[in-house]
Amino acid sequence: MIALVRAEVLKLRTVWSTWVLLAITAVLVGALAAAVGFAPHRREGVVFPPRGTVAWFDSVFSIMAISLDLALVLGVIATTGEQRHKTVTSTYLVEPRRGRVTAAKLLVCAAGGAVVALVAGAVGLGLGFAVVGGGFGNTNEMLTEFRHVWPGVAASGVLFALYGVGLGALLRNQVVSIIVGLGVTAIVEPIFVAALPSVGRWLPSEAAQALESVTARPHVRGLGSNTVHLITWWEGALVLLAYGLLLAAAGSFTTLRADVT
Amino acid sequence: MTAIEVRGLTKRFGAVLAVDDLSFEVRAGTVTGFLGPNGAGKTTTLRMLLGLVKPTAGSALVNGVPYHDLPDPSRAVGAVLESTGFHPARTARNHLRTIATAAHLAPSRVDEVLELVGLTADADRRVGGYSMGMRQRLELARAMLGDPEVLILDEPANGLDPQGIAWLRGFLRWFASTERVVLISSHLLAEAAQTVDEVIILARGRMAEQGPLEQLLRRASTTVRVRTPDAERLVGLLQGAGINARRQGDVVDAPSTTADTVGRLMADNAVVVLEMSTSGESLEQLFFEMTAHGAMGGPGPDIPAAATVPGPYGGPS
Repeated sequence: MIALVRAEVLKLRTVWSTWVLLAITAVLVGALAAAVGFAPHRREGVVFPPRGTVAWFDSVFSIMAISLDLALVLGVIATTGEQRHKTVTSTYLVEPRRGRVTAAKLLVCAAGGAVVALVAGAVGLGLGFAVVGGGFGNTNEMLTEFRHVWPGVAASGVLFALYGVGLGALLRNQVVSIIVGLGVTAIVEPIFVAALPSVGRWLPSEAAQALESVTARPHVRGLGSNTVHLITWWEGALVLLAYGLLLAAAGSFTTLRADVT
Repeated sequence: MTAIEVRGLTKRFGAVLAVDDLSFEVRAGTVTGFLGPNGAGKTTTLRMLLGLVKPTAGSALVNGVPYHDLPDPSRAVGAVLESTGFHPARTARNHLRTIATAAHLAPSRVDEVLELVGLTADADRRVGGYSMGMRQRLELARAMLGDPEVLILDEPANGLDPQGIAWLRGFLRWFASTERVVLISSHLLAEAAQTVDEVIILARGRMAEQGPLEQLLRRASTTVRVRTPDAERLVGLLQGAGINARRQGDVVDAPSTTADTVGRLMADNAVVVLEMSTSGESLEQLFFEMTAHGAMGGPGPDIPAAATVPGPYGGPS
């Protein structure tokens, strides 16, 4: 199993898509955090917190959660890339017990999700230090706020990567898996959250929000009548873990058992 | 010792019966050609042998066990399969490293197999820029990583240029000389005839022929036909020389021999010759006949030869 894990690490390290994904994470977190952080103080009736305040750091650091989508894509690519480039044949020739290959991918992508979160964290923290260095807020408050937000993002990132592996194992097609994965978070979830909040809050990104709240916010989000009561952080963690493992198990029992032709 | 054992192997893809109750054995120390026209079920059989395709019925064993029960598959079997892929952005060396790592093999094996297939100079190039021939060599390098006892090759000559084919032939001769097992599929009998000792011929998923290549070559050789007033005597002379001649009126057919042999025999014995001709059945013709008329062991549905038999330069199956 250790050999398979090492091989999976090597597979991720030796293709450019992994590095591009990490670069996109850095650029996306940096650009969006800057856009939120340096937006005009008041726009269309919405008041943004003053730069350097605790609330400001909170909204800027929350942007790091965008890295979850990239962790998901990492998991999907690690699994479906084998189908796409037909390297799955040589992978299964070396290890015909396919469940072990999926298990190795789950382990390695969990670590990969953590690396994506680290990159997001590094960019967020860099921005935080830059703003403090520019004379806004103080280091202690900034770091305290970072410690409130980042651990939840990192934990969600790890679990989202597992969710990506599970999705890829089940659907096999790379483009379809990415569209379904991101489509669920971007389109399906908001619909459920609006129409059926009792169901919606158990879906992946709501579960991730719940997990992120472990060290940070109270268990509600949104404003006024749109308030959604999140599940507890540990429920969020378990639900996300279950998505990853159940999808991977389903994939192992269906498509991964299929003939490789 | 039996290296490969296939018993009652059957695979059905929906309505298509790709492999139909196939049984054969491959002994250690032989190079066996696994032959048949495109769509005969060769690839499906090999993939079942390698645990990539699940048989509908029957068993396929390597060294006495199913592939997925081999304790160390990479050291037992090396396989070159069609449609095995490479990540285009990965270098050849890194591709092999991922496999060697998963298979618990020493990193030095990567350099050794690159050297073996002559890819050392291109090892750090991305595979996306490789030619077909280079990819085929890289596939062979991957198969050789575990220094396996059994080599299974599915149409390895496809896409190779004449130099590549000559190189492959040399490689297989070297591998076979080390007393290991090769099972090589091809839709070109003449190509396979250059390297194999044994043949298994498949037609529409069923066994059409199995045996030493020698035996097949004998059947494919020339028949000499002589019209002579001394027909009776000539048959006796030929049979005395070990040629299984037959007479029909004043015509004698001497199969599996040459005009040279028959001519000298007649001159030495002063046999009067009225007419003499040779009719040759080439190896390819024999192959077409065997594979176009279904399995010899049992009746198969008759379909036109043209529908199943590729030309001598037919495409991949």
